Amino acid sequence: MNIIETQGLTKSYGGFTAVSGINLHIPQGSVYGFLGPNGAGKSTTMKMFLGLTKPTGGSFVIDGMRFPDSRVQILKEIGSLIEAPSFYGNLTGEENLDIIRRILGLPRSSVSEALETVGLTPHRKQLAKKYSLGMKQRLGLAGALIGRPPILILDEPTNGLDPVGIHEIRTLIRSLPQRFACTVLVSSHLLSEIELMADHIGILNHGRLLFEGTPDALKRDATFQGYPTDNLEDTFLALIDADNRQRGGAR
Amino acid sequence: MSTMNLIRLELKKIKRTGFLPAFLGGGILAAAVPAVNTAFRPELFAGLSAPPVSILLGANWQMMSMLNVLLIVAGACVLYHIEYADNAMRKMSTLPVRESSLFFGKAAVLILAGVLLLAIEAVSVFGCSIYWFSRAAAPSAGILKSFGFFLLMLIPAALLSLALASACRNLWTSLGIGVVCVFAATMIPAQRFALTLFPFAMPFQMPVNHTGDVIRNYAIAAAAETIVISLSEVIILKVRRIFA
Repeated sequence: MNIIETQGLTKSYGGFTAVSGINLHIPQGSVYGFLGPNGAGKSTTMKMFLGLTKPTGGSFVIDGMRFPDSRVQILKEIGSLIEAPSFYGNLTGEENLDIIRRILGLPRSSVSEALETVGLTPHRKQLAKKYSLGMKQRLGLAGALIGRPPILILDEPTNGLDPVGIHEIRTLIRSLPQRFACTVLVSSHLLSEIELMADHIGILNHGRLLFEGTPDALKRDATFQGYPTDNLEDTFLALIDADNRQRGGAR
Repeated sequence: MSTMNLIRLELKKIKRTGFLPAFLGGGILAAAVPAVNTAFRPELFAGLSAPPVSILLGANWQMMSMLNVLLIVAGACVLYHIEYADNAMRKMSTLPVRESSLFFGKAAVLILAGVLLLAIEAVSVFGCSIYWFSRAAAPSAGILKSFGFFLLMLIPAALLSLALASACRNLWTSLGIGVVCVFAATMIPAQRFALTLFPFAMPFQMPVNHTGDVIRNYAIAAAAETIVISLSEVIILKVRRIFA
C-alpha cells in the first residue's frame, strides 16, 4: 500500500517548471530516497506535500487524504525537516521542542525522548542560536521525530553534520520504520548516502521523474539500457547525463 | 488549539526577548509622566476647577499615549521577529496550526501587554489625583472609563502593527513603517474626525475632549477597524500561501 501517491504533480514559477507531472508511489513503512542534482525539484515536491507551496497542476494523496481539503489533518501525521533548520534562537533546544509538543498536543515525555533520539540531551538547556550547524540539524530532526509521526519528510537531513554525525543520522533513519512504524521520504543529491538508507528510490532531474523503484530494479534497468552498474553512483550519473543530453545539453 | 493555549504558546515564545520587561519599564516610564509633571508644578494643576482625571490626562496623555503606541509597534515587531530571525515560521507552517491562529495569539499577547501598560498608568493617575487633588473623592469610575476607552483605541493600532510585522521579514522595515505611521498620526489635526480614525491616531484620543456621541463614534470606529484589519490579515495570509 502506498502512503503517498502523486498524479501528474506539477509546479511552475512563471515560465520555469520546477516539477513536471511526476507520479510518485511511496510504499508504507519504507525509506524512500528522493535523489537528484541540485535544482532537480526535490525540495519543491516536499514543500508541496507540506502545503508550503501550491501545486500548479496534478494532485497528491497522503494516507488517503487530499490537499488542500485535509491540510491540517495531513500535517498532524507528518514530521518534517525542510532545507535549513528552523527554530527560535531565543529559546533552548528543549524549549523549541516544547513549542512543537504543545501544538501537536503531545505528552511532556515526548520532548526528552526526541532529544535522546538525536543525541541532544546534554545540550538541551543551551540556546538554539548558540548550537553548531550540526546541532541545529539534529534539533530540526528532533522536531520532525517528536511524537513519532507516521510519515517523515526529511530534506537533506545530513547537511552540516560531521562524518560521525552523518553515520549516526543515517543509521537512525534506516531504523525508523522498524522503531516507530513510520514511512520516511528522504532527499539527497548524494547517491552513496541514499544507497545506504533507502529501500526505494525516486530519481528526479529538471523536475522529471527518471526512475522509481528499488535499488535492484535500478541496476536491472541500467543494465538493460547499457549504463554502468559497477556502483550506483555511476549509474545515477549516467542516467542524469543521458537525460541532460536528451534535453539538448542542458545541465 | 484553544485561545488560552495559543496565548500560552506565544508567551513561551517571547522568553528572553525582553518583551515583558520592556512593557513593564515602558509602563512605569509613562506612569511617571503625570507624577513628575504634577510634582514640578502642582500649583498649575491643583488650582483648576475641572475633574482631576480630566486635568491629569489633558496635561499628560499625549506624551503617555506616544510612549504606549511606540511600545505597541516595537512589541509587534519583536513578536514576529522571533518567527523570522531563525526561520521558525517555516517550521510553524509545517505544523497543524493556522498562521491566522498564530496571528491572533500574538494579537492577544500584545493587547494583554497594552492592558498591563494602561493598568500601570491608571494606578499612577489614580495616585496623582488622590495626592494632589485631595478635595475630590477617589475618581476610580472616571479612570476606569477613560482607560477602558484608551484600551479600545489601542486595539486597531496593535493589530495594524502586527499585520505590518507579519508582512515584513525584516524587523527594521516593519519598525520603520510603524514609527513613521506614529509620527504621521501626531500631525493629524484633532478637529478632523475622519482623519483621526487612522488606527495609529486613535490612541491619542481622550474621552474628556469629546461629547458622548463622539466617544460612541470612536468606539464604533475602533470595533469596525478591529474587524476589518483582522479579516484583511486572514485574507492576506491565505493569498500569501497560495502564491508561495
